Formats: sequence, C-alpha cells, structure tokens
Amino acid sequence: MTNQTLNDERLQLLASVLDLVIPPSPDGNKPGAGELGLANQLAAGMAGDAMMAAMIGAGLDKIEQLAGPDGFAALDPSQRQSLLEKANEEVPGLVPFLTFRVYTLYYQDNRVLEALGLAPRPPHPVGYEMEPFDESLLAPVRGRAKLYRTTERGE
Amino acid sequence: MPEAPVDVLIIGAGASGAAIAWSLAETKMNILCLEQGDWVKSTDYPGIGADWELRQFGDFGLSPNGRGRSEDYPVNDDESPIQASMFNAVGGSTILYAGHFPRFHPSDFRVRALDGVADDWPIDYDLLAPYYEENERMMGVSGLAGDPAYPQPKKPPLPPLPLGKLGNTLAAGFNQLGWHWWPSDSAIASQPYEGRDGCINAGTCLVGCPQGAKASTDVTYWPLAIRQGVRIKTRCRVREITVGDNGLADGVVYFDEDGNEQKQKAEVVIVACNGIGTPRLLLNSKSKQFPDGLANRSGMVGKNLMFHPYGLVRGVFPERLEGYKGATGCVIMSQEFYETDPARDFVRGYSFEMLRGMGPVFTALSGMSTGDVDWGADHHRTYDEFFDRTAGMVVICEDLPEACNTVTLDPQRTDSNGMPAAKITYRLSDNSRKMLDHAIERAKEVLHAAGATRTTTEAPLQVAGWHLMGTARMGRDPETSVVNEWGRAHDVRNLFIVDGSVFVTSAAVNPTNTIQSLALYVADTMKKNLANLFD
Repeated sequence: MTNQTLNDERLQLLASVLDLVIPPSPDGNKPGAGELGLANQLAAGMAGDAMMAAMIGAGLDKIEQLAGPDGFAALDPSQRQSLLEKANEEVPGLVPFLTFRVYTLYYQDNRVLEALGLAPRPPHPVGYEMEPFDESLLAPVRGRAKLYRTTERGE
Repeated sequence: MPEAPVDVLIIGAGASGAAIAWSLAETKMNILCLEQGDWVKSTDYPGIGADWELRQFGDFGLSPNGRGRSEDYPVNDDESPIQASMFNAVGGSTILYAGHFPRFHPSDFRVRALDGVADDWPIDYDLLAPYYEENERMMGVSGLAGDPAYPQPKKPPLPPLPLGKLGNTLAAGFNQLGWHWWPSDSAIASQPYEGRDGCINAGTCLVGCPQGAKASTDVTYWPLAIRQGVRIKTRCRVREITVGDNGLADGVVYFDEDGNEQKQKAEVVIVACNGIGTPRLLLNSKSKQFPDGLANRSGMVGKNLMFHPYGLVRGVFPERLEGYKGATGCVIMSQEFYETDPARDFVRGYSFEMLRGMGPVFTALSGMSTGDVDWGADHHRTYDEFFDRTAGMVVICEDLPEACNTVTLDPQRTDSNGMPAAKITYRLSDNSRKMLDHAIERAKEVLHAAGATRTTTEAPLQVAGWHLMGTARMGRDPETSVVNEWGRAHDVRNLFIVDGSVFVTSAAVNPTNTIQSLALYVADTMKKNLANLFD
C-alpha cells in the first residue's frame, strides 16, 4: 500500500526498522512492531506532524545511506541494530523518538494487550472484577494501641 | 447586559466552592459561582479509549502548563523543585485527584504547642470532626472504622475498596514488620451510592472517572446545589475582586467565554481558587485601599506556600500483581511514622500511600526513561520483568510554612486573557529533606519485606505539586494572617476564603477532606451569623 507520505519502498524500510525496535517475541506470542502495521500508523501521522515527518524522513535517508547498495533488508539482525545505532549518532534523537512513538502505539494494540494477558479493550466501561477486602489481614493492626497524639481537648 | 447583583458570589467550582455552595443553598440566597473551566462530560474522559494512558501526558495531564487548554493559567515553576498540578473545570482538581480522603490528626492543629514549630491553628480537630463526617457522607467515602491512627468514632459510609493481589502483598509486608496500615479512606464509591455507580476497578482515576464512582464535586455537591437554585457560569475567569468606598468587596470583573470583560456585583464574595489561584487573584486585585493586593495588609497573601514533598518508591516483584486492577492511588495507607518522634532528626512525620502498578504503555515509557526497558533484541525480556510486577508507594511528608516559599504574579507570562500568570518560588526545607530520607529508607524496607527484589526511587517527586496550601492563612492575629478562624478576611469583612490557602500547616495527608470540611464549617458559621455577618 502506498501511503500519502511514504512510498511502498520507504514504508517497508520503516516497518523493518520498527521490527528492530520491537522485534517479535521469542515465544511468538507478540508480533514485531513492523509486523503489527505500525509503520502505516506512523506514516499517516507524518502528514499532520511536521516534526515527525522531518525526523522519520531524515532517519530513513540516513539508514538507506548507511546500508549501502544491498539495502537494509540484506543485513542480519545484529548488523541492523548496529546500523540503527550509527544512524542515531548522525540523526540525534532518532531512536528515542521512534522508541517513544512505537511504544505508545504498540502497547495500545489489542493483539498486544491479549498477549500480555489483558482484556483487549479500554478499561471503561467494563472494568475488572476484584475480590472484596479481607478484614482478617488487619488482625495485627487492630490489636495496636492508638497511634495518634492526645491534644488538650481530650482526644 | 450586566447581571443583577447577587447575594453570594463564589469564585471557583472545585472541591471547596462546591461544598460551600451546597451548604449555603438552604438559605435561599441568590448564589452564583463563576468558574474559568467547563463541565467535563463522561464521554470526554480518556478511560473509555485505547489511548487513555497517553492522555495523562496531554489534555488530561496534571500540570496546567502542558495541557494546552485555554481555561488553564500558566504557573511559572522554574524556581521550584516541585511542579504545580491542578485542573480547571467544574469539579476542579477533584476531576483528576486519586480520591484519597484521610482526615488530619488532632496533633496537626497543634504543631506549635506540641512540637514548637510553625503555628497552631485557631480551630481544632474536635471542632472540625462533625464537618468531616458530613463531608464524608456527601462525597461518599469508602473505608473501614476502627483505625488506631484516628480518634473514634470515625465510620466511613461505604465499605472499603478491594485491595487485590497487589494490596494484599503489600499488607503482608507491613504485617511482617509490625507496622501500621489501614485500607485507604477513599472518595470512591465501593458500591452504588446516592445515584452514583460503584467503582468497577478500571484503574483510570488519575485521568478522571467516566463511571462517576470517584467523588469529583461535579457529581457530588454540584447537582444538589444546582437543584436548590445555585447557578454556575462556566468559562468565566475572574480578573479582580473590586472594592467599594466602604472598604468592602462589591463584586468582580471577569472575562466571559468570548473574552469580553464583564462585571458582577455581589454582597458577599467567596474565593475558592486553590492555594495558587487564590493568592494570584488577591494580588491582582489592587486598589487605593489595597495597593499590595486585596486583604493583604498583613503581607501574608502568597506567603508560606506549602506542598507536600513526595517521594516515590517502586518495588519490582517476581510475580504478577494484577496491579492494573483497582483504584489507582487508593489501596492502603500507613501512618506508622506520622507523629513526631524525638529520636529522629526531624519534627513532624509522614504517611505512606500504596499505588497500583503501571499500565502497559506507561510501563514501556517509564522503563525507557529509567533505562530498565531496552529497545531491540532484549525488549520483551526487559519489558516482561516490569510489566505488572511493580508496586509503588508514595511518602507524603508534612511541609512546614516558610515565608520564603511564595506565590507571586509573574512579571512576564500571562494567561489567555492577558492576566498575569502565577509564579511560585519554593525550596525544600532541611526538615523536609531529612524526613524524605527517612521515609525513603522505610519504604524500601517494607517493599522488600513484601517480596520486592529491587526498588527504584524518585524524591522529591517533581510532578507531585497537587496539594496547594498556606498562602492566605488563617489566624486570630490580623498582623500575621489573612483570614480569621472562620475564613473571613481580616481586612475585608464580606470576603471569605475557603480553599487550601487558609491552611496554617499542611499535616501529612491529602488535604481535600479537610479543605471541604473547613468550607462546610465556614458556611455553617456564616449561616449562624447572617444577621451580623459583617460586624
């Protein structure tokens, strides 16, 4: 799919970078951030956010340049990670920026919430069941003398 | 066209403005409240959306400086290690508060007599006790009778909120050390109450409660006050309180929702704008009679700003705690170290309050800022070590008044109507630092006793300036205080102040219950003295 702000090739590169920020979990329960489709969400956000468009654009340019003619996809995961760290040195703030954006989107996604053992929904309006308070826990405290200081009016 | 004069004009529709409006409503006086914010609809709250955690950093953030709402006014906190927090709406900061609702201790009103510091209040616990009880009934407080930290009887109207696995784990730690703890007195309905739904344990309290279980005053006092004829005009920001030739307040000048300047005359003016908003307004209300600001002949308006210095300690546990369930801040409270102990190197004391865990987004962002959660190949392992495995506790230290801690008018910054912003100048006292150090070590101790494998600490907690007190303090001496023992300005006999500004000292607990109980007491005293209110 061609996005308004990134062509297919750049979108695929961004997805690969996001999969590096949050890769699929080793047990296969949690998808990578790119696999989750977050590149499309970020690209859509770039249309209305000049700072984001500039940062991601500069970051992708740098990654393409550093990857050389074979491209980012040809590198193994550890080489990709090194390359992204290098890109972060040359485009200061690139990784923290991407990480912040990716974390906020990734951990709102229902598929991720389910993988974390949470209900795939916002907290309201259903909420969560909890056991009522167990007063027996307080037995040691109930046996204590008063803790507050007496003032001149009795209590 | 200007509105006809009213009998009582209340400025601010938050915790105390709502309480005094409700109490005075039975007099059938013509009562109007001007509020710079608006009503918050239940559908406005973040908790119904997937992005609810993120909005804590946006339009429902704690600091007015970062929210980008036109109804907020800037607070210059460059010269303070603690940032001011507040919310401007019908309900005020009760919209975002955790709902912790403890009372002061009797000793909190007698710090000079007992400990030789600060000043005693001109009122005491026994005088306030019936108003605490009334306020707890009106707000719908959940809790449990029998707490040895308080004089009895003290019986919250609703049963306590559930502790959950996280709360039970922490309670076991306190029991192991033999320390006091008790289920929090919480202004959150544990079951349906007076037309409000009960808490569904959604854990979004700090960004408002779409359920209406949390007792923000837009769902407690205000509906009842309005039913009795009190009126609220929202999006109206008061610029100054005006004074007649007789030296009495005669009304206000305010900006309406379109930014047009309006005047409202009144027989009585009640200020309920919080410990920063109230001195800001009084200092901006200069006149020939009051060149240094209204009701400021003592020079005490804006002085003695108190926060509660907070420390945050989080424990990391080996097992999951279901910390995303339940009221965010209202779990258990400990007052083991509340009263002065001569063996310590500080006077007065502090409370512990337990916190729920962090949500999935906040876990990631918090771990990113502390370096505990990695990006890349190790992300899931490091994330999983934290997610739903942390339990936090805050320590709330009593802050003592110091004249050097101030609210003033900012010489440069203004709000959206051109009114000077508030500027706070604040430093932590030596006593507060020693108290924080002591409290942090005890917090680590109890978290480890509860099973934490490691702890993280932030003290003082920068974002924790949500208790704003002391800047128009109460006292019998007009030379050293702004209002008398029932909230009436010494200098202006028809001007009353009912928010946290009037606090003489801060205690070591959340102030809202005391703020509102004081407002009910002031209202009662006004009603008893209606015939000679200005004598």
